[in-house]
Amino acid sequence: MMIPPVQGFDINAFQPAGAGQAAGLSTGGLGAPSAAGAPTPFLDTLKSAISSADQINSDASQQVTGVLTGTGGDVHSAMIAVEKADLSFQMMMQVRSKIVAAYQEISRMPF
Amino acid sequence: MSNLIDNGQTKLLGKFLDLSVYRQGLLTSNIANIDTPGYQTKDIDFKGELQRSLSGATDDSSPSFGPTVRNVPDLTTRPDGNNVSLDRESMMLSETSLKFRLAVQLMKEQFKEVSMAINDGKAS
Amino acid sequence: MNLFGVMEVSGSAMLAERQRAEVVTSNLANAETTRTPQGGPYQRQHVVFGTAAPGTFSHELSAAGMNMPMAMNDPRGQGVKVQAVVADSAPPVRKYDPAHPDADAEGFVNMPAINPVEEMADLMGAARSYELNATAVQATRGMITQSLDLLR
Repeated sequence: MMIPPVQGFDINAFQPAGAGQAAGLSTGGLGAPSAAGAPTPFLDTLKSAISSADQINSDASQQVTGVLTGTGGDVHSAMIAVEKADLSFQMMMQVRSKIVAAYQEISRMPF
Repeated sequence: MSNLIDNGQTKLLGKFLDLSVYRQGLLTSNIANIDTPGYQTKDIDFKGELQRSLSGATDDSSPSFGPTVRNVPDLTTRPDGNNVSLDRESMMLSETSLKFRLAVQLMKEQFKEVSMAINDGKAS
Repeated sequence: MNLFGVMEVSGSAMLAERQRAEVVTSNLANAETTRTPQGGPYQRQHVVFGTAAPGTFSHELSAAGMNMPMAMNDPRGQGVKVQAVVADSAPPVRKYDPAHPDADAEGFVNMPAINPVEEMADLMGAARSYELNATAVQATRGMITQSLDLLR
């Protein structure tokens, strides 16, 4: 298979959030680094999910372009790449959903 | 993700599809040259190539290596030097088509399983 | 080379077989022709087949400078081409027919050296090969359609 395996997303990195993570999440969204330099497994997980989904997506569109312009890509490889991109995207959306749900759960805790 | 989608089963099926397509190309060449003087029937060692890719390289990203093509043994040669057998090629054509179809169905099953795993048991 | 290129190979073969059929048909039609613009009776013709890259994909690739090291030496790129249409070197057949307008002094006519049975067999062979290549196109097309099915 011509498609390189996906790197960068390890499902074991998915950690339950502690108070430190909530602080990290509240400092301004997913793009901002956490204030105290605390480890942010959630953020890192999501970031790596996004970047690998992105990479798979561009690989898929590259293959499809190859098939359409007749530069020799196999049709079935392109279809498989597209399907993998779709699944990566779904995975990424699920990760995002879980993170948001966890954050909301935490912020509902009475202090 | 790397293990979820790119698992052993998917790799095997992907390689199977690649080899089927390659073989189809050779069969087509054979059939096209059924009347060409001196042409020798060509094919690949399907099982061998499949096994090699599974046990050997973890990642076959180099496009310049196709499977090894060799002449098919034990065919009768006609007076013009051509040894393409109409029967063999027809039979291989059917077989390759059907196996390709089978592999596609199995691959779809894989995708469906992964999709269900991601989406908590819902189809999509 | 992907499956589309594979179909081109079959296409080249269908063209070649059709050209072969045309030459054979011409032979059959002219089996009794004693007058040609070159003088003398019709000369039987036959085609010479040879392998040739179908020309579209691999050559366009190398022209575009794409890095496809397999393109030129790809064993799947073996299409067929009619390399030449050759006139048969067999001498004309002399038939005794003094009533014929082209009869010579001794009453013999030079007829083309064409055996209709042989030509018919050749024609049937061309038709059978054409059909086999058409079947191959259908098979390849089926595989492409199946590939698309991967996306539901």
